[in-house]
Amino acid sequence: MRIKINNKSYDANPGDTILSVCKRNGIRLPTLCAHPDLLPSEGVCRMCLVETNQSNGLVSSCTQKISDGLEVKTETENVNRARKINLELLWADHAGKCASCKRNGRCELQDLAKKYDIDEFKFVPRKNELKSGDELDLLKNNWKHTVFEEKNSCISRDSQYCIECRRCIRICRDMQTVEAYGMNYRSSETNVGTPFEIPLDCIFCGQCSAVCPTAAITEKDDVTDFEKALADPKKMVIVQTAPSVRFTLGEEFGEAPGTFWEGKLVAALKKLGCDKVFDTVLGADLTILEEAHELIQRVKNKGPFPMFTSCCPSWILYAEKYWPEFIPNLSSCKSPQQMLAPLVKTYYAEREKINPDQIVSVSIMPCTSKKYEAQRKEINGSEYQDVDIVLTVRELARLLRKKKIDPRALKEKKFDPALGISTGAGILFAQSGGVMEAALRTAVEKITGERLGKVEFEMVRGESGARCAEIEVGGLKLRVAVVHEIRNAKNLLEEIKNGKSDYHFVEVMACPNGCIGGGGQPVPTGPAVRKARIAGVMARDKKMPLRKSHENPVLKKIYREFLGHPGSEKAEELLHTKYINRSKK
Amino acid sequence: MDILTKNWDKIDPLRIDSYTRTGGYGALRKAIREMDPEKVVAEIKMSGLRGRGGAGFPTGEKWGMAAKTPAKEKYFICNLDESEPGVHKDRAIAEKNPHQIIEGILIGAAAVGAKKAFIYINGNYQKQKEILEIALEQAREKELVGKSVMGSAFKVEIVIFEGAGAYICGEETALLSSIEGKRGEPRLKPPYPPVAGLFGKPTIVNNAETLANIPFIIKQGAKTFSQIGSSASPGTKLFVLEGAVRNRGIHEAPLGITAQELIYNSLYGGGMASGKEFWFAQIGGASGRLAPAGKLDQSLSYGPGEFPLGCGSILVVDKSADIKDLLFSWADFFHRESCGKCLPCREGTYRLWEIAKRIKNNDVSKRDKENIEEILWTLSNTTFCPLGNFAAVAWKDAMRMFSDKIFN
Repeated sequence: MRIKINNKSYDANPGDTILSVCKRNGIRLPTLCAHPDLLPSEGVCRMCLVETNQSNGLVSSCTQKISDGLEVKTETENVNRARKINLELLWADHAGKCASCKRNGRCELQDLAKKYDIDEFKFVPRKNELKSGDELDLLKNNWKHTVFEEKNSCISRDSQYCIECRRCIRICRDMQTVEAYGMNYRSSETNVGTPFEIPLDCIFCGQCSAVCPTAAITEKDDVTDFEKALADPKKMVIVQTAPSVRFTLGEEFGEAPGTFWEGKLVAALKKLGCDKVFDTVLGADLTILEEAHELIQRVKNKGPFPMFTSCCPSWILYAEKYWPEFIPNLSSCKSPQQMLAPLVKTYYAEREKINPDQIVSVSIMPCTSKKYEAQRKEINGSEYQDVDIVLTVRELARLLRKKKIDPRALKEKKFDPALGISTGAGILFAQSGGVMEAALRTAVEKITGERLGKVEFEMVRGESGARCAEIEVGGLKLRVAVVHEIRNAKNLLEEIKNGKSDYHFVEVMACPNGCIGGGGQPVPTGPAVRKARIAGVMARDKKMPLRKSHENPVLKKIYREFLGHPGSEKAEELLHTKYINRSKK
Repeated sequence: MDILTKNWDKIDPLRIDSYTRTGGYGALRKAIREMDPEKVVAEIKMSGLRGRGGAGFPTGEKWGMAAKTPAKEKYFICNLDESEPGVHKDRAIAEKNPHQIIEGILIGAAAVGAKKAFIYINGNYQKQKEILEIALEQAREKELVGKSVMGSAFKVEIVIFEGAGAYICGEETALLSSIEGKRGEPRLKPPYPPVAGLFGKPTIVNNAETLANIPFIIKQGAKTFSQIGSSASPGTKLFVLEGAVRNRGIHEAPLGITAQELIYNSLYGGGMASGKEFWFAQIGGASGRLAPAGKLDQSLSYGPGEFPLGCGSILVVDKSADIKDLLFSWADFFHRESCGKCLPCREGTYRLWEIAKRIKNNDVSKRDKENIEEILWTLSNTTFCPLGNFAAVAWKDAMRMFSDKIFN
């Protein structure tokens, strides 16, 4: 089908909306409620209005399906008038405190306001009355309905910035099935909130903060704590960085998604004053060794199956809250962050004769939920809090900008070798399917005792939300599945519960495409951005000299000198955890 | 010609016998025993009956769409959410002749193949809800509602669903969301409810007054009905006269009648209340247009016309009224009742209300005057559902007609 836009003819597919055709062909339309992860659009922001020859007046291009003979005009007098007045109305519904805002320079509303010249204010901003969250008691006497929440360790909400685009509601409901948010109240007092404005009760995946066009929902800011630690001469700041961060940090400084920035990342952290920079990928390799061991044990003990991966704290929390019957199926292995961290405060501290008390263990994560994971009481392996501060990629970038550090101008640096040597298998943790592939690379060799000819397991790769494969390993047909996004996990759990599926090993990631789509990653996100990030990850794995976790020389050394063997008593104590039934039923 | 009000105050709404004695449920019997569903739909189509809720969509066509859509389950809903300020015609039908509505629902449900029907009633209509409950109970006892209607294979259950009084829930898709237990907000159309409505199933939503016409059409035939009223929109209509008119209240009159006649004819309004001088009339509720004396001669019917009839209310405003009060009352209503879903309505009605307060206090600025025009324009042209447009209708007329009085 062909349609005309601004008198030019374009190809279109049945089912396309006007907006999707425009986007494909580089015709810019302002959008706020539309998001590539949230299709179909609901048409609530009325920004993308256009005129067509098939309707009287304006139609929202994000909801209008194309049809034969359609002619669209995107820049008429009426279209521009609508954009301008609606943007002005919206701007006045927003706190507009740009200079002090976390999302300054990365705010979709700010971008539109700049583009459409909202410099003269027609209306008095109506959310400016609120001075701080301290003045509000959320549950009582909150007639203004302004919500300010920092009650959890992951997600901050501040409805002064909210423009009611509903992306958060939709991503939480449609992608994650958690439905933590909804609309409260009516008319101009309409507000995004939780039921009865209880504190946020969710899995902290942070997808809401990744799709929020403004700063209404953001990662909880822990930058100040980090700065304090850096400034304290008595403290030794030891940082670890997650596998995916090296592929996304560049986006915050204008690089294309997927750009490999490992050296820049390390250099920037050193420039900030971090004493040691270690690699969470080593933690990932460690996870693989422990998890492969656990899988082999389960095969020997005939279950319980399936064994679920446990790297994703949002998935763990989801299972604990909604599917407690599957707690015995969760791998007891901690996540890479929580495996590396206790080693820092025990193994590394002992070797280097550092008082663990002086160590501030910081991790740079793609994830808001890791902030929560670090706070789990039962997670700590050392006698201290294993991870003291968790920063998301966005927070790190914000701090770098604040300190005027531009990684592009820095000379690349290497991780500190003590805990900074890694393999391609660990790098794969950055994306959905990666834990599975890394585990298979190790498990297959361990079970068969033979070297793998080809290390790639293409059958578990891909972008589809749920993938499964059957792999012959030494007489055993190992059935595995990989799911990402909670909606797909939920489907799979239901299938397993109803006896319709039967797997040995299942990888679950809460975020779309795994950690490279994490809730703490740079914005904007979307399928295209994530695809480019995945390509970066894959290319890096290929280039790595070591591609199997059990070949990691540092790990071999740590097992030899400290842990013994996978599943040893020491390993159990430091690297494994337990789970709690958090269901309300 | 009385179709709807014929037996008002003659029958006892609490006793079903009183209704059947006047021929009540005869149409249902005819529809079930002598006609097949296609015939019923065809008859309604032929009658030219249009929806009385305000939009004036041909009822028969709506039924036809739902009847055509194959589905295991279908729903039939009577919209009794009446919440336009000053309109209370549906309430009156429910109160004075509840079985007329129920009979309409039963015929409709049989025609489209719905086994479950709802009466979505405004939460403020407690008394009427009780009356309908009694009526339904009696209809069940008489086997007019239930597993086998009049001994036929047709079975239907009717449930009364109480809304919470939101104006927007009178909009059919918002009404559906409300029944589904969701927030009452309009949905994207298409799909239209007759194709995918309540819980995604084909659903008819008809105004209570529309349904009250059904028994007459089935019994007397589409032809008889189509000869009443105007050719484009046949039948009679319940007009609600309010304001400075002598006989306030509900008057049944054939469609096509002029506002002039409704206000001044002694059969209806009987002229201005004593001592009052006509200024203008608002036709169609709070969302209606303003008609000055010179425009009262236009005929009121569904279809194209300068003064959309809407739900059929006429507010007669006399010269002692203050336009500023009216402006505030309109703005206040729509600001309160905006559902908050789309930006221009949520913010536009708020800003209009803000300015209305200042107009009332004679504190209006030059910037306000400019903003009014922009707000009214965006409400009229960019909102998700028609409510935003409604909020601007009277204001636009008032700005054009009375700006000297507003900004004095």
